[in-house]
Parts: sequence; structure tokens; C-alpha cells
Amino acid sequence: MKWLLCVSIGLYLFGGFRRSLFFAGVAGELVYMAQRGIELGRLPLIGPHDTLAFFSTSCALMALPFLRHKSLRDSDRFRIGVSLLAALTGLMALPFPAFNMPMPPILNTLWFELHVALAFFAYALFGIGALLGGMFLLKEEQYVLDAQNTAALVGFSFFSASMTSGGIWGYYAWGTYWLWTPKEFWTSILWLYYGTYLHLRLKGQKWERAIAWGGVIGFGVTMFTYLGVSLLMKSSHSF
Amino acid sequence: MKISYTNIYNRLASLTLGLWLLCGVMLLLAAGSFLQGEGSIINEVALLDWLRDVPTGESWWLWGVIALLAVLALNTLLCSIDSLRMKWQKGSFLVRIVPQLMHLGFLFIMIAHLQTAYGGFKQAMQVEPGSAITFPDGSQIVFTDFAATYSKMGMPTAFSATLECRSAGKVATAVISPNHPFFHLGHGVYLKDIAPPPMKAALVEVHKEPGALMALSGGAVFTVANLVLLARRREKTA
Repeated sequence: MKWLLCVSIGLYLFGGFRRSLFFAGVAGELVYMAQRGIELGRLPLIGPHDTLAFFSTSCALMALPFLRHKSLRDSDRFRIGVSLLAALTGLMALPFPAFNMPMPPILNTLWFELHVALAFFAYALFGIGALLGGMFLLKEEQYVLDAQNTAALVGFSFFSASMTSGGIWGYYAWGTYWLWTPKEFWTSILWLYYGTYLHLRLKGQKWERAIAWGGVIGFGVTMFTYLGVSLLMKSSHSF
Repeated sequence: MKISYTNIYNRLASLTLGLWLLCGVMLLLAAGSFLQGEGSIINEVALLDWLRDVPTGESWWLWGVIALLAVLALNTLLCSIDSLRMKWQKGSFLVRIVPQLMHLGFLFIMIAHLQTAYGGFKQAMQVEPGSAITFPDGSQIVFTDFAATYSKMGMPTAFSATLECRSAGKVATAVISPNHPFFHLGHGVYLKDIAPPPMKAALVEVHKEPGALMALSGGAVFTVANLVLLARRREKTA
């Protein structure tokens, strides 16, 4: 069924130009994820293939409310941006094999699934925030910065809930709600980063470009937390 | 030289200071993530014991984080007090209180880490049927049996240990498995791994996390306040 993921990526690539193709891409990727879930008997959230595909789906899903919002509905630039984001993350999933191994007992809990799913929703919103930040830097429109702030705030909320559910899972699974490994370090950095970003808004109007840049850089921190740490550093969350 | 207490207070309660402190904490944590090598025992002992035992050359980043967090805690508290004082006369109760509840959740989480760093405990051990863990009050946990199922590829798909808790003349039986520990006198007994058959043995860890409840409270307060903030914002933009 990997072909369905390929088709969805193709639809995303053209979805920037036609909204219906983007929606078809979302539907296709959701079917692919559901099929993976049925095959595995759980949410597909382990290993680089499944997590990147889940990330791509999350990017597309989280973009839907923004695409429906009156201020961004007709923005070609935004639609092209989210289509590329979903397509690129989907493309990154393709070279990795889709493992069908049984769930390790330690991961077999709803707290784990909640923890990971919420984290990816947050990552996706941080990605959308970065796109909106880029749009604001090109053409300073207030509604774009407001939308970026909304994306970051909702993402931060998902991320906070993910950290809480991760702590609960860790407590029952590992005996501790916290481990000092690179993943936890960078998770904290990401959480503090967006906490700082959200406070920057209180500094006033002259900080608007810095806020927009903050959203762009934040996605870099997000990607390092997700992929950089998991691939390059030895951690409790290594692939 | 005349010291202006108002000036000191204003500086300590300023948003700018809070933002710089957050940046400092992030940089030090990033340094810590690269400095912690594979051989580090930071997760094996209580954090304050680790800080006491390892050379400062290895732990400087954590000393820095603790120092900055201490000032950040004060800054958060003072910012909240100032914000409440300024907003008390205007706006709804929720608008006044919700961001401060998020700050409170953050402070709870920091206190939780401090509690665990001070009174945390971890001990790993291999157990066999008949092995016992004795607690300071004389009560015992005795392991009686182990069970496991394996996939066709030989990976364990589920495993468990049966134990008896013998305390004050009473005997209670329980089964522990991954994600399902047994709690006794504030300690959790966790089944980490099991030996393949025909061996009857398991790897067990005993943990004490005094900050767990405070961390959960902090996380819950923060999350609930965050949701209320989102709902308020949605109402405002609708």
C-alpha cells in the first residue's frame, strides 16, 4: 500500500494549485495511515517511516482549519506552503522501510500513543507557524502574524499535553516521569522556546519581525528535536 | 551608594529578564545534551547525588540551569503578582487568573524536579522465584513466578511477574508487567525485562519519585489553564 502514500504526496504537490487536490491528498494519506493501523493493530507511531508519514498527515490535517479561515482561504502562497510541507515530510518517509514488528510491551499503552500523536500535532502546527512567519516576512500583513501566533499557541498546548502524557507514561513504564537523555533535553528546549516565543508578543509592535523569525527558527528547533536527536544522538527515543 | 529596592524589584519582575533567563536555560540544556556521554550515570542516581559526586567540569551546565531556574522562579512569581495587581480592576476573572495558573503549573513542575532530585531513589536487581525485597519497616515483596509470551520472531510480546506483598501479617498477591508496576510504601516495583525460557529470572527496578504527584499536578494545572486560554481566545476571535 506504499503506492497510496506516493499518490497522496503527488496530490499534495499539485494541491498547492488546486484546493480539491490537496483535500484528496489528505484523504489518501488518512486511508494509508488507517490501513497501516489495521495491519499493525495499533496507531503507526514507531520507526522513521511511520512517524514521518504520521507527521505528514498531521501537517495536512492541522492546516485544514487555517485553509478554511476567511483570512487565509484565498492565499495561494499559504496553500502552496502547506502542500509542500506535507509533501516533503511524506517524501522523507518513503526511503525508510515500513516495519511490521509487534509492539514492544513497554510501548503498549494509550499514554504512549497519546504522547506521540499530540507531539506530532504540535510539530505540524510549529511547521505551519514557520510558513506563516515566512509569509509575514515577505509581506507584512497583521492577520498572518495573528495566524502564526494561533498556530504556535495551539501547538504549544498540544506539546504541553504531550509532555504531561509522556510523563505519566514514563512514570508507569520506566519508574520516572523524567530522564536526562538528549530527547528530554531537547523536548524541554522546544517547550521553553515556544514559551519564550509566546511571551515575545507582550513586548509590543516593534518586535513583530522578531516574532515572525521566531516562528521560522522554532521549526528548525522542532526538526532537530524530532529527527536530529533521534538520528544523531543516543537517546531514550532513538530510532 | 544608595540601593534602590524599587529598581531591583522592577528588574527582577521584568519580562525582559524572564526572556533572557529562558534563553540561558535553553543554551545550557543544549550544551548538556551534547556533553552527556553514554557512560553518564545521571539517570542512575538521585540528581543531587550526581551533582555532588561528579566533577564540576562535567556538571557545570546543570549548576547553571539550576541557578537560572531559581531566578526564573522568582521572576515568574513576581511577574504574576504584578500582572494580577495591574489587571485586578479590569477584565474578567478568567482573563486575570488563567495565565497565572499556567505560571503556577510551571512552578509546580520545578518544585517536583527539586523534590525528586533530593529524595529520589532507584535500584535495579535480578530476581528469581523466592527472591525478596525487604523494606525499612520489615515488610517484604517476594517474587513467586514469571511468565512470558513470544512472537514468531522470538521477541517478547508480553511478560509478567507474580509477587506477594507481606506486610503487617497480611499477604497480598499482585501481578506486575510493563506499564503496570506495584506500589508499596511510596516505592514502585517495575518489571523491566525477563530471561528467556527455560530460565526463571527477571530484571526488576525499585523507584521512588517523591516529585511525581507535584509534577502531575503542575502538568494538569498548566494544561487545564492552557485549554481555558485557548477557549477564551477562540471566543474573542469568533
